[in-house]
Amino acid sequence: MHASRLAEQFETIEKQEHAARLAMWVFLGSETLLFGALFALYGAYRVMYEGEFVESLHHNDVLLGTTNTVILITSSFTVALAIHFVRASRSGLAALMLGVSTLFGAAFLVVKFTEYAAHVREGVLPAGMYSLAAGQQPPGGAIIGATLYWLMTGLHALHVVAGMILLAVVGIGCARKVYSAERYVAVENAGLYWHLVDLVWIFLWPLFYLTD
Amino acid sequence: MLHAHVTTPKLVIAWLSLLFFTFISFGASRLGLGGWEIGIALGISVVKSLIVLFIFMHLVEQRFANRLIVILTFLFIVLAVSLTSTDPLTRRTFPPRPDPAAHPYP
Repeated sequence: MHASRLAEQFETIEKQEHAARLAMWVFLGSETLLFGALFALYGAYRVMYEGEFVESLHHNDVLLGTTNTVILITSSFTVALAIHFVRASRSGLAALMLGVSTLFGAAFLVVKFTEYAAHVREGVLPAGMYSLAAGQQPPGGAIIGATLYWLMTGLHALHVVAGMILLAVVGIGCARKVYSAERYVAVENAGLYWHLVDLVWIFLWPLFYLTD
Repeated sequence: MLHAHVTTPKLVIAWLSLLFFTFISFGASRLGLGGWEIGIALGISVVKSLIVLFIFMHLVEQRFANRLIVILTFLFIVLAVSLTSTDPLTRRTFPPRPDPAAHPYP
């Protein structure tokens, strides 16, 4: 079985899997740098428009944000359990854990979109669409704050959707016994992607919800 | 090659400590510590990400090459964020920032 899935350029399956894992880490590194650029913008604009920037964060619901933090941390835990089970050749349990994690992802999106809906009702929208109740113009720093909020959490939500698709695909693979203790690097890499989604939120949560 | 091995109890402890740090982070943010607030919150986030990286992402049992990528990514982000923020913090020019009132949105 090993011989059939060993690509020509690798001597051993271990080297092939190390290459797959290393490539995933490089990809995750580049993804993180994409968010890193946005974090840099956040830092610069926050110090530039101190009070005004923070004004836009007052609209965020700390309770919803914290709920989402707990949801994502727990989903990361269930994904880690899934990897643990697939390594022990308990593919059925791994599939279950991946299914649960995908549902946690969906729960995260439901909470996030509940919050987005509230923002839309209040008129807290990106750039020129941001308007206050009385039709007044919000201060410039608040507009930048709201724009970065939508951009960063929106980009993160897209990553949640991508992660859910990956988890569902490897979850189905586990249920069909495609993956086992001998072959699980794809499950591991999908899991790594999900953990990155969690890592980004670990930083978005304090920046947009706690420090207002 | 596998020196350290991530076991189920370790995963459970990692999860519980992540929830604990989330609670601490939330609590610290309610104290009204002013300027320290953001530093403390980010410090706790760094601790939480180390737990996710080393235990959940199994970095503890992987080769150094994978760790090197994490170290470099972290350094690049620290560099980008600190240099970009230091510029407006240390400006001695006038005006210190663009005046949005001069060019309001239509």
